[in-house]
Amino acid sequence: MTPHDEPPRNPIAPTAAIPCATGRDQTVQFLEMKGITKRFPGVLANDHVDFQVRSGEIHALLGENGAGKTTLMRILYGLYQPDEGKIAINGKAVTIRSPREATALGISMVHQHFMLVPPLTVAENVILGLKSTREPWLNLGEAQERIAELGRCYGLRVDPRARVWQLSVGEQQRVEIIKALYRRAELLILDEPTAVLTPQEVQEFFTILRQMARQGQAIIFISHKLHEVTALSDRVTVLRDGQVVGTMLTSATDRQRLAQMMVGREISFQRYKDPVNKGEVALELQGVWAQGDKGLPALKGVSLTVSQGEILGLAGVAGNGQRELAEVIAGLRPATQGKVVVGQKDVTNRSPAEIIAQGMSYVPEERMRVGTIVDFSVAENAILETHGQAPLARGWFLDYQAIGRYAEKLIADFDVKTPSQDTPVRHLSGGNVQKLILARELSRSPRLLVAAQPTRGLDVGATEYIQKRLVEQRSKGTAILLISEDLDEVLALSDRVAVMYEGQVVGVMPTSEASVEELGLLMAGVKKQLPA
Amino acid sequence: MVEQLLAQGFIIGVLATSIRLTAPMLFAALGEMFAERAGVLNLGVEGIMLMGAYFAFWASFTSESPWLGLVAGMAIGGLMGLGMAFISVNLRANQGISGIGIYLLGWGLSSLFFRLTFGAISGVAGFQPVNIPILSAIPVLGPVLFQHNVVVYIALLLVPLSYVVLFKTTFGLSLRAVGENPEAADTMGIQVYLIQYVCVILGGILAGLAGAFLTVGQMNMFVDNITAGRGFIAIALVYFGRWSPYGILAGSFLFSIVDALQMWMQVIGFGVPYEVLVMQPYILTVLVLALAVGRSGGPAALSKPYVRGGT
Amino acid sequence: MNRKMLGFALALLVPLSALAACGPTPVPTAAPVVVTKEVPVVVTATPAPTKPAKVFKVALILPSTMDDLAWSQSMYQGVKKVKEEMGPAMEFTVSENLYKIVDAGAAIRDYAGKGYDLVIAHGSQYQTVVRDIAREFPKTSFAYGTGFQTGPNIFAYDPQAQQGGYMLGMLAAGMTKSGKVGIVGPVKGGDAIKYNEGFKQGVAAINPKVIVLETYTGSFAEFVKAKEMAATHMDAGADVLTGTAQQSVSITKAAAERKGVYMLCSDMDQSKLAPDTVLASQIYQWDEVVRRMITLNKSGILGGERLVLDFSGGKLQLVYNPKLEGNIPKDLKDKVEKAKQDIISGKLEIKLP
Repeated sequence: MTPHDEPPRNPIAPTAAIPCATGRDQTVQFLEMKGITKRFPGVLANDHVDFQVRSGEIHALLGENGAGKTTLMRILYGLYQPDEGKIAINGKAVTIRSPREATALGISMVHQHFMLVPPLTVAENVILGLKSTREPWLNLGEAQERIAELGRCYGLRVDPRARVWQLSVGEQQRVEIIKALYRRAELLILDEPTAVLTPQEVQEFFTILRQMARQGQAIIFISHKLHEVTALSDRVTVLRDGQVVGTMLTSATDRQRLAQMMVGREISFQRYKDPVNKGEVALELQGVWAQGDKGLPALKGVSLTVSQGEILGLAGVAGNGQRELAEVIAGLRPATQGKVVVGQKDVTNRSPAEIIAQGMSYVPEERMRVGTIVDFSVAENAILETHGQAPLARGWFLDYQAIGRYAEKLIADFDVKTPSQDTPVRHLSGGNVQKLILARELSRSPRLLVAAQPTRGLDVGATEYIQKRLVEQRSKGTAILLISEDLDEVLALSDRVAVMYEGQVVGVMPTSEASVEELGLLMAGVKKQLPA
Repeated sequence: MVEQLLAQGFIIGVLATSIRLTAPMLFAALGEMFAERAGVLNLGVEGIMLMGAYFAFWASFTSESPWLGLVAGMAIGGLMGLGMAFISVNLRANQGISGIGIYLLGWGLSSLFFRLTFGAISGVAGFQPVNIPILSAIPVLGPVLFQHNVVVYIALLLVPLSYVVLFKTTFGLSLRAVGENPEAADTMGIQVYLIQYVCVILGGILAGLAGAFLTVGQMNMFVDNITAGRGFIAIALVYFGRWSPYGILAGSFLFSIVDALQMWMQVIGFGVPYEVLVMQPYILTVLVLALAVGRSGGPAALSKPYVRGGT
Repeated sequence: MNRKMLGFALALLVPLSALAACGPTPVPTAAPVVVTKEVPVVVTATPAPTKPAKVFKVALILPSTMDDLAWSQSMYQGVKKVKEEMGPAMEFTVSENLYKIVDAGAAIRDYAGKGYDLVIAHGSQYQTVVRDIAREFPKTSFAYGTGFQTGPNIFAYDPQAQQGGYMLGMLAAGMTKSGKVGIVGPVKGGDAIKYNEGFKQGVAAINPKVIVLETYTGSFAEFVKAKEMAATHMDAGADVLTGTAQQSVSITKAAAERKGVYMLCSDMDQSKLAPDTVLASQIYQWDEVVRRMITLNKSGILGGERLVLDFSGGKLQLVYNPKLEGNIPKDLKDKVEKAKQDIISGKLEIKLP
């Protein structure tokens, strides 16, 4: 749908408190940013960026990490001041010095990490920071009514009395949007909003956004998921290296072209064509149970096999036991029941060192906290697991020359961009840290690789590289358990797909037989496929 | 022995004593609760109490008005709270260490001032018990609840008052949000630093009041280190009470009643070694704290200085 | 930085004062007693001596403060008295509030390392730490008490607190109307246990039917608890109270706030705090002990002697509050006086269990 063939305004009668229909003139430019330039030491983050948003349109802002999207939005939200350039709201020039001023101008931002206070109720979260009608006393009853009203208008169903920590991620996102609407936001900035949602939730979310746009809301949709951008937005602006590559009607472009604009070269969406060449079973899980961090069961009888030469993709919404499963396999979390077999050996509740010795490699979810020691150098991180072995060590002493040569090779092989091998990992970008971890883990020619969220938060270029290396490794005969919340990635790379829901594997199927719809139903727990 | 334990005089004695023991801990713990709810761990309560104790004593000695003593104790407490707020909010110092610094400063200064101004232990009249008409005549309940000095009643009334402020006002909502997720609060236009300042100063005022209670409402004199660790117990009580006013009331009353009980058991001559008896309140505290571990409930951003837009 | 500056200033001052001393009218200035909480900085404006007479340096480690109206203050006053006698020939530094043995140990070691001649660690709890440090500094005299185990360079002083306790116990038994008297003790040990034992025997000597309520706070400095405990005693019917350690001021204060209750003190006379309540006190005369240790040290004997404080040597004394002395029946007072004479002559010995 384009903004040109708008349906008539929403027929629901406006209420005294918050009208459902905003009655805004949708032909006007709500926001105009002109010639925005922002320099940081050594970086030109925004280079004369022009950007406009009309009321009632969904405008996608596309770009790789570091392209300048975040900087531009932070300027708009008053967190940064531009070095050059002008901002106009409804045709009037404005200076936005703080988020508070942005809010006053009708600009609201839904952050990637929700800005919610989990122990408080939905209503309390929504009215946070607002004056009450009965100051200094809270007026929660009134807030609850207005939230219910908004929910009816936009299909944003959520119980205003529920505590936020009890809500699903999708519901929490709705609370964020309600917060913005409650403050009469006219422009909503959504930063990677679908990263946390199931495919079904994404569909529902898009429906809500479209309805909001119909009612005159301007929406900036920041994403690097091309198919979502093409499915949702009216217009797209692509940023690269701080500059606008182009702004166009979504209907007049396609994924391939957008990707090319974003990266500056052609991107292949086809990962591999090799037929599966399954070898021996490298990982076998038999009825594994384990507890989560809060002492409740996080895994409830997980059984899986992964053979050498195949990638098993493990899909699921975050928090359904994927992280705990990876930790059990890696020996970082005890299994309370069941068996973990790596190679031919039972390694249930063995130490990580013993499991590594069985040929397991692990790319953890939290690459900066678990995967590396951020204050150690690139070279030191490269040898974290093998430092005790020749030729890196002689007796008790590390042979720094050998380590240097070894690190040099890994850096070159995996295209890790670092000023030097002595640079602390802290200073590397996420993509380069992940490349370094992968280099380290693959250098041991593992029998089994457990990769948890290997491309999360990485830009398109780094993602492509990591994915390519994973597929190559599969062809070399490694069994790969790929844990990912990105369904596209799972479908693109895996030979088989398994879905986890609430600590159980609710379905396993060959990728060729899997559809997004079916996986979505499994991920949402609506459907359960029991392996025959 | 059992008859003695069940005797009315014994029960009244234990309960009345425990209410007197509760009052200073209530003041200090409720104050600390506000600071911690706003995300600032103030380990300097003990030092602030000592300063409050000294200044209250000095003011009421000089003016012969215990009320002025209370005001002086609260004023110096607020001032020390301001110092703690500056150190933890603006300088973002490690709150554990700066709290200990405040404690040592408070102890040292109160000791020094006392020596400079008095030089010898002396007493003041202090607050006298007020028998609330009619109510104080009720058997058992009267002597337990309604024959205390006015500051004890203030301490008890502060509990529901704190509850209302915390859960029924916009200010309370803001401060709870600040302690849980200052970044979210900031994006919602709440002035995080201002809230933290207000709460830490409020905590200081109440700690000063707790100290003032000791010197002009309970001991009627000042001696060096008069608090003897009550400020630290108050901090433990905040955890014990799960950061809620009624929880803190229950915790401090439980602690005091066990303490009062062991005193009475010693007086009666219960035949248990006194070492075992004097440990009771502390054993209880450790037990409850140990059992309370794992139950979440503390403000998520407690003792983490907030920096806008960064880590 | 500051400390360095101070050092500079002092370094300048010393030759200046020496110059001044060479002037026509040398003014003999008594070296002031400088009291610090931590590192002692003793400013001695002593004229440069023509024949080098060594200044005797004494350090005093106190568990509480020197104005606690009890244990610490009594010793402080004893040392101060000696200092006043010796004048510039003695230097005197105090460190207070070192109840914790670890902290006290650091201070003791510091003083010994700085060349102090006599380091007095005023508490029975310091026995082991003194023993350890004394081995490292064989040329320094150390002292501690209450205790009796000595060492080649360790003096132990041992107040016979049970003697005064006995006499005060007699007074308590004779003065109580309710037939109940109360002891609010700190911890069961050291000086307190001796005193309490003597007190109980004294009560029994006058009237075995009088009940002694005996409780302990578990601390020397739990002022609030000591006061509440004293109140508990009085609620339970006690009308004569006693107790030791610095927290005893709380007992005195508690007794003073009720009518018809007497307080009996030990260590120091607290009648100034409660002139209508404190009936009598056992007081410690430490100056004798300090003088003796200095003399021994100067003659080359650095330790090895147990110094007993008792009534026969006059180092323990019983004083009545003149304001209330008249309330005591004559025959009771006579009995107490007789007990005192028997104790002095050795006819009566208060046995400790």
